Amino acid sequence: MENTSQVPVTVLTGFLGAGKTTLLNRILTEQHGRKYAVIVNEFGEQGIDNDLVVDADEEVFEMNNGCICCTVRGDLIRILSGLMKRADKLDAIIVETTGLADPAPVAQTFFVDQDVADRTKLDAIVTVADAVHLSSQLTEHHEAEEQIAFADVILLNKVDLVDESRLDRVKDRIKKINPFAKIINTTRCSAPLDEVVGLNAFSLDRILEVEPDFLESDHDHEHDDDVTSLSFVSDIPLDMDKFQDWFGNLLRTKGQDILRSKGILNFKGEEERYVFQGVHMLMDASPMGPWPKGKDRSSRVVFIGRDLDNMNLKEGFDNCKSA
Amino acid sequence: MNADLEKLQESNKTELERRGSIFNIGAPATEAVTIRDQIAVGFGDGSVRFFQSGSDPKTVKAHKGVVLSMTNYEDHVLTGGDDGRFLKISSDGNIDEIFNFGSKWVDCVASHKDTKVCSSGKNVYIWTKNKDKPQTLEHQSTVAGLAFDNKGKRLAVSRYGGVTVWKLNNNKWTSSNFTWKGSHGTVTFSPDTKYIVTAMQENQIHGWRLNDKADLAMRGYPSKIKSFTWVGDTPYLVTSGSSDAVCWPFDGKEGPMGRKPIVVANGGKELATFVKALNGEKAVFTGFTDGSVLLAEIDESKKPIMIRSSTGSEVSTIAISSDNSQILIGDMKGSILLSSLWADN
Repeated sequence: MENTSQVPVTVLTGFLGAGKTTLLNRILTEQHGRKYAVIVNEFGEQGIDNDLVVDADEEVFEMNNGCICCTVRGDLIRILSGLMKRADKLDAIIVETTGLADPAPVAQTFFVDQDVADRTKLDAIVTVADAVHLSSQLTEHHEAEEQIAFADVILLNKVDLVDESRLDRVKDRIKKINPFAKIINTTRCSAPLDEVVGLNAFSLDRILEVEPDFLESDHDHEHDDDVTSLSFVSDIPLDMDKFQDWFGNLLRTKGQDILRSKGILNFKGEEERYVFQGVHMLMDASPMGPWPKGKDRSSRVVFIGRDLDNMNLKEGFDNCKSA
Repeated sequence: MNADLEKLQESNKTELERRGSIFNIGAPATEAVTIRDQIAVGFGDGSVRFFQSGSDPKTVKAHKGVVLSMTNYEDHVLTGGDDGRFLKISSDGNIDEIFNFGSKWVDCVASHKDTKVCSSGKNVYIWTKNKDKPQTLEHQSTVAGLAFDNKGKRLAVSRYGGVTVWKLNNNKWTSSNFTWKGSHGTVTFSPDTKYIVTAMQENQIHGWRLNDKADLAMRGYPSKIKSFTWVGDTPYLVTSGSSDAVCWPFDGKEGPMGRKPIVVANGGKELATFVKALNGEKAVFTGFTDGSVLLAEIDESKKPIMIRSSTGSEVSTIAISSDNSQILIGDMKGSILLSSLWADN
């Protein structure tokens, strides 16, 4: 359910030196007429001083709820609950993560904690990437791959320092991991702020915008633990029971390797579209109104993760088609 | 508004609303404590206001942002804010800054006699009488709750993974850990100091018997428990988080182990968000998500009394004056009801 009183939260990831602080300083100093609170981490780059900057230690907590990969940001739960007691209304909250942080616990916090979910909503995960160093970072650090995989928007920064062919190679590499993120070329993080904050990228509505052009991506990766993506389309309506069995079991057993999943579903006998959005084992799903008239009623699902080839995803999805 | 409607609305008011005063502060009420015949309330605009029957509240501009925590200290209140300041405030508006932590929040405060305590991040800072410099107690994760036992000899500090209980011996603090997986928030000692109990990040409360560290898990709540209070001589630990006030008996050798709680003050579709004992009575005030407040005896056969009707904003604090004559109820929209509890006052 869309709740207009929920404050949107933008999660900002990216390796040290990519330009996160430059972007934060812009958010805090530009005359945009909006009130943003920024949660920064202790180990971040220096140079931000503002009343609406909150200092946090990234504290990743395991939930005591039997879900093995269910970790949340404990500090974030505490700080968001404090910010919600302010007399003045915030237009948005921006959470900076440390360079080596896994974005999953931040995203999961919005699925797991009821107070956080009631009063705030995850707006988008924005990753600042350094066009010069991203390739080597992707080779050397799992975290860099995860930050690209989780992103809704990627600010490809310092594009002035690389030539065109190198830029194309970096973009290809990004698209191989995450073909769904919007890539914005920038120098000094100069993207318009309205392309970074207030996007509603995590809203279930936005899943409808996932375009199926890049289906069946090639799998010429070098390592089995590379992050890749797969997506499937079906014009045959799906069987709801079969889909729930398959998908529920898939997230339970392979959720650790599935970083993000999303989809729009056409169930047999149902007039409404169903949409879902998941982070590891957690997901959010709901009916999203009737299908637009004159458009194909096709189901689409998208997975970003590791080892996707060994999950029999195509077979599993095909088995959900109603006979 | 036509006269009939006005009359109807008037008749929907509770007895306490009719004889009390209502103040609209416009910022969430975050904490309330009693100092003598006054009730001090902290707000989300950084102010601390001192309420007293028969007069307008006195406003002290204390913090820049939110008053996150508050407790009483001699004739003063101690407050922690999201501006990083730990303050001592008198009801005539005198502010004494005990310490400034800069961009780190002061999440929790506590006091016992002349000892002042606050937490900021993972550390707890203790100021004892006549000492300018605090002692620092370090923890592995951010401190989420502080509580002294009734003698001030032990200080419970809740955090991720359990509670650290610090004991004061010959001016030295030594620690003992009580472990339970998960994140622990508000903490309290039972009045007989045999148990400690925390409200967890999950929808449950957890307790330990201090002498053998035996665990008590109290589950089954539909939402987070934000508030608890000790009631009566049994005593009962009364908790929010459900559609009723859930009352766990802590008498006997085993406390609530293997026993069912008593449930009173049913709020229907609404969930309890704040509970407060009526001193000296086996009765509790329960505030709900819609702003309503019920007074109930800890007896399932008795009917609760409606104290405050719905305001549409969740009850965030309730305080009773030290002589049990006045009640103050505050909500997240900043509406305050101050009223006398008894008709002849």
